[in-house]
Amino acid sequence: MTIPADLKYTKEHEWVRIDGDTATFGISDHAQEALGDIVFVELPEIGRTIDAGEAYAVVESVKAVSDVYAPVAGEVIEVNEALESEPEHVNTDPYGSGWIAKVNIGDGQVELLTDDEYTTFLEE
Amino acid sequence: MTGLQKTPLYDEHVALGGKMVPFAGFEMPVQYKNGALKEYTFVREGGAGLFDITHMGQVRVTGAGALAFLQYVTTNDVSNLIEGQVQYSALLNEAGTFIDDITTYKISDTEYYLCINAANRHKDVAHLQAHAERFDACTVDESDDTTLLALQGAAAQAALQPLVDTDLESIGYYKFARVNVHGTPGIVSRTGYTGEDGFEIYIPNSIAVDVWTQLLAGGAEPIGLAARDMLRTEMGYALYGHEISDAVTPVEAKLMWITKLDKGDFIGKQAVADRKAAGPQKRLIALKLTGRGIPREHYAVFVDGEKSGEITSGMHSPMAGGVALAYVKPEHAESGELSVEIRGKQVAAERTTLPFVRSNVRR
Repeated sequence: MTIPADLKYTKEHEWVRIDGDTATFGISDHAQEALGDIVFVELPEIGRTIDAGEAYAVVESVKAVSDVYAPVAGEVIEVNEALESEPEHVNTDPYGSGWIAKVNIGDGQVELLTDDEYTTFLEE
Repeated sequence: MTGLQKTPLYDEHVALGGKMVPFAGFEMPVQYKNGALKEYTFVREGGAGLFDITHMGQVRVTGAGALAFLQYVTTNDVSNLIEGQVQYSALLNEAGTFIDDITTYKISDTEYYLCINAANRHKDVAHLQAHAERFDACTVDESDDTTLLALQGAAAQAALQPLVDTDLESIGYYKFARVNVHGTPGIVSRTGYTGEDGFEIYIPNSIAVDVWTQLLAGGAEPIGLAARDMLRTEMGYALYGHEISDAVTPVEAKLMWITKLDKGDFIGKQAVADRKAAGPQKRLIALKLTGRGIPREHYAVFVDGEKSGEITSGMHSPMAGGVALAYVKPEHAESGELSVEIRGKQVAAERTTLPFVRSNVRR
């Protein structure tokens, strides 16, 4: 299982990459492994304003439907449309081609963990 | 997971990376390390998929009155069975609703073998015993001593042949033979729940690990519950607790083909005949989403904007897309604009025919 050092994580197993005003969201390697084969991703609409901790997307595996929560607040500026036809990217490359959405960062964030803190959280 | 039973193959599942989950009172593998989609594909695309379905129950019925007894407690016509034949059937209560769906194996005029669902085992056994007393028939629950494997897929016959002393080519669809498996007596039937050619293999627990290991060594791959449910849903096969339950009769469940109202008296017959005459209260349909999404169990089905019923089994089929079985009001079974409510939104759907994907069983 990989936990890149340049990302922040949430206790709901999302990751966020903060780059200036923009944040990119996805789910962690641990999350994709626990969910199993992802067969459907429901993406948010561009322009939607989401609060920190709000469910902004849905990932569906063979057996389960799971909400995905926003690590930080913001307005959706880009979504990974490739996931509509190839949701398996969430499994095969959760921190890369499996990204879900990008937001223009607004006010508020949930508790964000460093890679070390997330590793410790997973071990507990 | 306390209080759950383990099959004799539990350690094998764990060693193969099986993700164990509670299922019908057992700890069973929902998938192995490669995941459900790869397992599904292996079975559909020519492999030999190996399933531990030991959770299912088996009841042996013997005695001079065995036939009369089974004619009375099951819905199908047991007098039509020949030795070595398997029959899909059901147990109903007096209200005509399902206690279980079963398969009946005819060993001889005085000996039959029933395969029943795990979750219904104790209810079924009590029901059978309660009625056997009136006939010269004896029922024995052999579930705890029996391991049941399914080997499914185009390569199943080639993978199983080296372990048995009977030419499997001689066993037709829904036929069985009593064979030596790995030198020990067992039953092999050309039956299954996947829509592929294949076998179900009943053996004593004592040889379960040996047979499992040898089948894997011969190229079979283990398949978990998630892929099993995908394969059965694509065929539109009913599953107890989903399409059938003690709330529906064979009239609603489209199972009148296993319910022979002309065979003489059986439990539930009058209620089913009355329901058939009055018309079903709801009807089972097959649907396919035309919009994006995955139709899942319990999602509401709408017809012309009115809530009509709900999904009983639904999935994302890699071959057919979003497909589902659903009960709707009788007047909506054949016409009206269909949609499925997914997270508060109406997603368009259309009626389709079963199976959702082509069946490859050997007829």
